[in-house]
Amino acid sequence: MRDLIRVYRALLRVGWELMLEYRAQALLWILSFVFPLVMMNVWLAVVDEAGPLAGWGRSDFIAYYVAAALFNYLTAAWVLWDWDEDIRTGSLSVKLLKPIDPFHYLLTNELGWKVFILVVMGPLVALAAWLSPEIDYPLTAESLLAVAASAVTGFALNLMMSTSFAMMSFWSTQTKNFYQLVFGLGQFLSGWIAPLALFPDTIRHVATLTPFRYTLSFPLEILMGRLSGSEIALGFAVTAIWLISFTIVYRVFWRLGVKRYEAVGA
Amino acid sequence: MSLHIDKLVKHYQVHHKEAGLRGSLRSLFHRRYEMVKAVDGISFDIEQGEIVGFLGPNGAGKTTTLKCLSGLLYPTAGSATVLGFTPHKREKAYLKQFTLVMGQRNQLLWDLPAMETFLVNQAIYGVPERQFRETLDELVDLLDLKPLLTKQVRKLSLGERMKCELAASLLHRPKVLFLDEPTIGLDVTAQAAIREFILAYNQRYSATVLLTSHYMADVTALADRILVIERGRLMYDGNLQALVERTAPYKLLRLVLEQPVDETELKLFGDVESIDGLKVTLRVPRHGTKDAATRALARLPVADVTVEDPPVEEIIREVFRRGEAVEYA
Amino acid sequence: MRNAFRLLAIFYKNTLISELEYRLNFWSNLGLSLFWLVWAALSVRVYFFQTEEVAGWKYPELLVVMGLFFALNGFRQLILTPNLSRISEYVRMGTLDYVLTKPVNSQFLVSLRNIGVYNWGDPLLGLGLAAYGLWQLKYVPSLGQIALFGVLIAAAMVLLYSISLILQTLTFWLVNVERVDALVMGVLETGRFPVSFYRGWIRAVLTAVIPVAFMTTFPAEALLGRLDWRLAAAGIGLAVILFVLSSAFWRFALRYYTGASS
Repeated sequence: MRDLIRVYRALLRVGWELMLEYRAQALLWILSFVFPLVMMNVWLAVVDEAGPLAGWGRSDFIAYYVAAALFNYLTAAWVLWDWDEDIRTGSLSVKLLKPIDPFHYLLTNELGWKVFILVVMGPLVALAAWLSPEIDYPLTAESLLAVAASAVTGFALNLMMSTSFAMMSFWSTQTKNFYQLVFGLGQFLSGWIAPLALFPDTIRHVATLTPFRYTLSFPLEILMGRLSGSEIALGFAVTAIWLISFTIVYRVFWRLGVKRYEAVGA
Repeated sequence: MSLHIDKLVKHYQVHHKEAGLRGSLRSLFHRRYEMVKAVDGISFDIEQGEIVGFLGPNGAGKTTTLKCLSGLLYPTAGSATVLGFTPHKREKAYLKQFTLVMGQRNQLLWDLPAMETFLVNQAIYGVPERQFRETLDELVDLLDLKPLLTKQVRKLSLGERMKCELAASLLHRPKVLFLDEPTIGLDVTAQAAIREFILAYNQRYSATVLLTSHYMADVTALADRILVIERGRLMYDGNLQALVERTAPYKLLRLVLEQPVDETELKLFGDVESIDGLKVTLRVPRHGTKDAATRALARLPVADVTVEDPPVEEIIREVFRRGEAVEYA
Repeated sequence: MRNAFRLLAIFYKNTLISELEYRLNFWSNLGLSLFWLVWAALSVRVYFFQTEEVAGWKYPELLVVMGLFFALNGFRQLILTPNLSRISEYVRMGTLDYVLTKPVNSQFLVSLRNIGVYNWGDPLLGLGLAAYGLWQLKYVPSLGQIALFGVLIAAAMVLLYSISLILQTLTFWLVNVERVDALVMGVLETGRFPVSFYRGWIRAVLTAVIPVAFMTTFPAEALLGRLDWRLAAAGIGLAVILFVLSSAFWRFALRYYTGASS
């Protein structure tokens, strides 16, 4: 365990430095802001036309999407692209020669960016919330803690989901495309396309069972004070079940995948 | 015994690529596969501290063998044991004891200074601080790395990068080194520096070194024992010098004359290999070299004389041409 | 001119050959394009659960705009991204020299050399969606409207190209800025919806400053037969002006490059 901590300290430092090296890439943020704001804008136009939807008025949509822009980036995991690249090009070999699991390399790369996002985008969102009368998050100390925890578990869920999908790359070259498919469908259930509250009951119930809700909607629902204590607890429970399931799937297919990698040619 | 390899076999399936646009379109719908025997039953043993050179043409199976020994490939048949471990199990204890350096693949973090990679490796291999500093200082000294450590890796030249790669792979003082084309693409000075370094490391730590190379100079400078591999089979395993003497029972007598001599006269002393103005190369039987040299010096207007072995490339080519089976010297 | 086409044929044939090696990629990318198209159409459907019209647009009309966005985005991925986004790389690595020493116009090479083979389906699918929208409306545009649409969509492509070129050319001076194409994509994203969805100063910006309105909204309106001819003329004029400007900027940057670097 002590070894792992030492390794993580070293890897996290590198992850941070790499992120600094690439800070110019931050132009990509613009992308992450534009889409939710465009969507928010459309909802506002709809509300203007048809009045509040399922009890959601202008300020609700604004509060939702501004936070969604931040949380989407916070919980996102891009490891799948790196896994796929490493496996297909054979760069995984370099990592396999090391006495630590490649998983740690890929995770620490991501974490560098997360800190950046938190440190830069977080205050921006907080500032927007404070300045704009329309954005009002009813936060208490406990709910803030719950929001933070759900953001962490949301990221962990995305991470393990991506990682277990990434294992497909040992057998297929189409992993990225397949993942986009699953991810794209998931966006309907995660609260990205529309807040889950706007969907018919059946869809909402289904969404509560899928992992997607817990990567975005769940933290947002807590943030906007729409969940009771027991609902929050239930949410974490479902998150835990999915987290464990994906981790198991990942480890099983990792072992099988490495065997195949070694059989076919590293 | 450091390495024990017994009838190692590794086969691959590759798809047959057709040329041209039509071929590509056809391959969209249907593909043909064929079996490639990269390693086809090789066996050898290596003791701790030996430096062994692995020679062979491209695609002979050298890199595949090294990858099998590093645990990156699962053998199709046969077995390999290194330091008592079975490589393909990739046990942590094994991974900490060897290193594989591939000329084509880099472990150095591209956008950061090499020092960052060193520190990461220290953490990953669990090298105690004092040992790390000692090893680092030695490596910096032997490879002349001081000015390179703080520059971003992508800004280093190929030679500088290779030196840093080597350093990064040796920080944990591995007992076994697998070096795959370590000097490829480097200039003469860098090649010499790396050769010296490998020798120094081997002597200092009694490390076993198995290296593949295209450059004869690498092998002649470092390895007494060579393994010649072609099409997945071991053609020769033994002393380089012995191979040279056996395959080419002649030497080259290079003379620099004071005045031109007619070819017919030169023929009296040996087979004429080449005449370039005043520089003459004669081929003489190995056992009669002293004799031939003495006679030449006595009878011909010689300003300078050297006796050389034929170029090793030629020897190796000859070995392949003859297609001899494994021999132990 | 004929030479240009011959060159393009050779460029693209070679790219095709090397990319077709990955045949699964070929098919699955087509499938993925189709998926994203359907996804886009469905994601917009949710807005119409409660209402027939939003900001004066009905759902099928929205599909026309979305289809054009899709087609234009496909064009971006097919031609613009594989080419223009390499400019910053050429400058940083010095490989721009290889481009400049070829006996072919540098702007031509830098703009058309490569092609994003996997996105060949997107423009077609996008137009298909637009056609579907029209079919839902039971509306058949007249020949004149189709012609006007054709001209405007071509102008839209030229607009997008020129803006991308200008932004990418800036990297001659801002050497460390990468992924400028993210900026272009961000701008284009707003074109998913008609410009009337945006209010106040945003709508003004999207019409006059960063002319996204001319890229998807106005061509769509042309197809729907309700475009003011003055806006159409403005669109064409804008495209021509920006093309001339961007080309001039490119040449200016080259003079800087060859003059400043030794």
